[in-house]
Amino acid sequence: MADTVRSGARAAAAGRFELSRLLRVREAGVFIALVVICLFLTFATDAFLTSVNLLNIGRQVSLLGIMAVGMTFVLISGEVDLSVGSTYAFSGLATGMLIIAGWGLLPALGVGLFAGVVIGVVNGILSTYGRLPSLIATLGMLSIVRGAALILTNGQPVTVNLRNGAQPSVLDTFNFMGQGYLFGIIPMQLVFFAVIAVLAWLVLSYSNFGFRVYAVGGSAKAARVSGISVNTVKIWAFVLMGLLAAFAGILSLAFLPSGQAGRTGLGLELDVIAATIVGGASLSGGEGTILGTILGVLIIGVMRNGLVLMGVSPFVQELMIGLVIIIAVGIDKWTTRRTA
Amino acid sequence: MTASPANIVEIAGVTKRFPGVLALDRISVGFRAGEVHAVIGENGAGKSTLMNILAGDLRPDGGRLLVDGKEVKLASPLDSRAQGITVVYQELALCPTMSVADNIMMSDMAARSVVSLLPRDMMRREARAALTRLGMGGLDPDTKVGRLSVAEMQLVEIAGAVRQNARVLVLDEPNSALSKRESERLFEVVKQLRAEGVTIIYVSHHLREVLDIADRVTVMRDGRTIVTMDNEGLSEDQLIRAMVGRDLGAALQWSLQVEPRPEGEDSVLTVENLEAAGLEDVSFSVRAGEILGIGGLPDSGKDGLGDALFGLSARRGKVTIDGKELRGADPLAAIRLGMSFVPADRRGAGGLLRMSVADNVVSASLPRFSLAGFVRRGAVRREARAQVARLDARISHLGQKLGTLSGGNQQKIILGRSLVTNPRVLVLHEPTRGIDVGAKAEIYSILRGIAGEGMAIVMISSEIPELIMNAERVLVLRDGRLSGELTGQSINETAILARAMTS
Repeated sequence: MADTVRSGARAAAAGRFELSRLLRVREAGVFIALVVICLFLTFATDAFLTSVNLLNIGRQVSLLGIMAVGMTFVLISGEVDLSVGSTYAFSGLATGMLIIAGWGLLPALGVGLFAGVVIGVVNGILSTYGRLPSLIATLGMLSIVRGAALILTNGQPVTVNLRNGAQPSVLDTFNFMGQGYLFGIIPMQLVFFAVIAVLAWLVLSYSNFGFRVYAVGGSAKAARVSGISVNTVKIWAFVLMGLLAAFAGILSLAFLPSGQAGRTGLGLELDVIAATIVGGASLSGGEGTILGTILGVLIIGVMRNGLVLMGVSPFVQELMIGLVIIIAVGIDKWTTRRTA
Repeated sequence: MTASPANIVEIAGVTKRFPGVLALDRISVGFRAGEVHAVIGENGAGKSTLMNILAGDLRPDGGRLLVDGKEVKLASPLDSRAQGITVVYQELALCPTMSVADNIMMSDMAARSVVSLLPRDMMRREARAALTRLGMGGLDPDTKVGRLSVAEMQLVEIAGAVRQNARVLVLDEPNSALSKRESERLFEVVKQLRAEGVTIIYVSHHLREVLDIADRVTVMRDGRTIVTMDNEGLSEDQLIRAMVGRDLGAALQWSLQVEPRPEGEDSVLTVENLEAAGLEDVSFSVRAGEILGIGGLPDSGKDGLGDALFGLSARRGKVTIDGKELRGADPLAAIRLGMSFVPADRRGAGGLLRMSVADNVVSASLPRFSLAGFVRRGAVRREARAQVARLDARISHLGQKLGTLSGGNQQKIILGRSLVTNPRVLVLHEPTRGIDVGAKAEIYSILRGIAGEGMAIVMISSEIPELIMNAERVLVLRDGRLSGELTGQSINETAILARAMTS
């Protein structure tokens, strides 16, 4: 009897405790920052708080977001992937060329995605069994894959349209993936991002694989003595990253609908890492969540959108984004330093 | 105790060699099921090597390892755990970013399918059960391990091991970072596990605790197992006597002949009421030309003394050189007032391994070798050549990278760097760790030479023979305080150990 009373009291105490703990969670800080920025933009501009603009932001951040989801896995596992911008270009252009060559949609998509998987496997093997720091391995792959894309396209732009030889039915579906709207209102890119984010959240938070990703990044030694194959987990994180970068690249070509190996996705890896880190993932591994990453992606997207709406010059925009990265991560470091 | 209970783990004639060192020399010891078996010995006796072999981190070069009477090969920590042996090191194998439950259940999760759902409720429940079993039911399984105290982390690791049905639990210096209350709680856990039939191998320097908790004690010395005794009527003195007994005769023959110094000679370095991490109320002074030895166990606070004196860590109290007070936490001020520090961590903090011998020699006194911001290469080479000759360091050329030298020659160059600053006080921490015997002797004679020139030397060392051979006076630290001062003839191994270990 006494026991049940006590456990009831404990549960009540725990409930109150949960709330204060919620506020201490890393995402809370990012979330509050996002709300503040949104509130500011709502009052500072007329156009910000409109469904058209919000959905537009959603569309604009989707590709970045899809890649940031992959990067979340890689960073939590204690590694980093710099090759994602190149993968994005290569897979998009390869799929585009195949569609122009008259291939069906699924085979063309399959080849593009498979390329991303292969790049991920190579990144993963070099960074684990190859004993290279992933910073170096993927820096090399950044150049190799970019070079491969240049060779593949001979440096020429790839434009997916009927005139270049795409089958009409294939082109319709392809364009819908990048440009279409679900129910005539939600951008398809945002739909893909949402579905991928939810799946990734489930995997990372509720699956055994997600547990292992956190474990190898938090302490490779602890994971190893527990019987987790550290290398296997890391390679899978890279594969997931490659797959998602490839998919984002394909969507990009479907949206635009043209790309060029010398320009597409250039420097994109840094945006992806920045968004992920603003969302609370740690470069030293073990920390990060999909929710945080989504918030990080949104902060960067809302900032860019808001600065455009306010008529701020693109040069100043870059500068502001940089400040956000430093402040967001800085606040985290400076506050945790004090508690530690 | 029954006549001869079966050994759960038996070590039969195990040998382990490292380059230049015979770490374990055909040792044999049996660990019985359900006993607390303490392993004690001086620094370098081979305890750590033995634990690493049990953990599967090192493989023996000879001899056999038997678990339940059957010979086994422990090629990895995983093998070791599969045999039911878990080693809890001081650096714990925990994931600080994950929760208590996650850590306790990690092995369980590793055994499940990677494409399964995470049974969070079950993990929390089982983790709480494992903690409750150790009397730790109050610990919230959802807490991040990084937020726990060291003591709690240890218990989390033990809880994980117990959950994996560990039959042999090796605790390596488990209470060196624990408060008294935490240690007591750990002992409760140890006693309870013993009652459940778990074998505890307990490596410790704390003889009082060993006598309190152990059923049997094995003493190691110089890579051998000297004796295994039932803990019945044992005393600290008996343990110390078993640990000592090294033949010091040969080494002592060229030991320093201590000349009594005139009393009242001015002290160069005085330390009053020093308080720093792990140190409380430490006062002493060193005279010109004196080598003062400082000894103590790893957790006695002696390892933080060098950093505190030199200003690498925060401190309170008064430190003066030639009557001038040193500001705390300011190594530059220490250098300016004439202190030089040779840290223990030669490969990390001590030397610039990737830079040349010449650069290392002058790296602590660059202003003297610079002109308008440029390094005077000629002067650097002259000075480096002079130091190399004086210290008799064996190098191929002055441009050779420090990291490519042997440990002894590295240490000579680092010593040279200190000497170039013309210090009044030289603080050395483990000056000959990992250095072969020949180079040790050379370094000792160099140190005596520079002491003879009037420098005050503070030698902080875990190696008791080193203190005996070199120091005119030895201060012993225990639990952060001075526990004894020995001079001249009274400096011997038993006296030092007794002051370091007994309470």
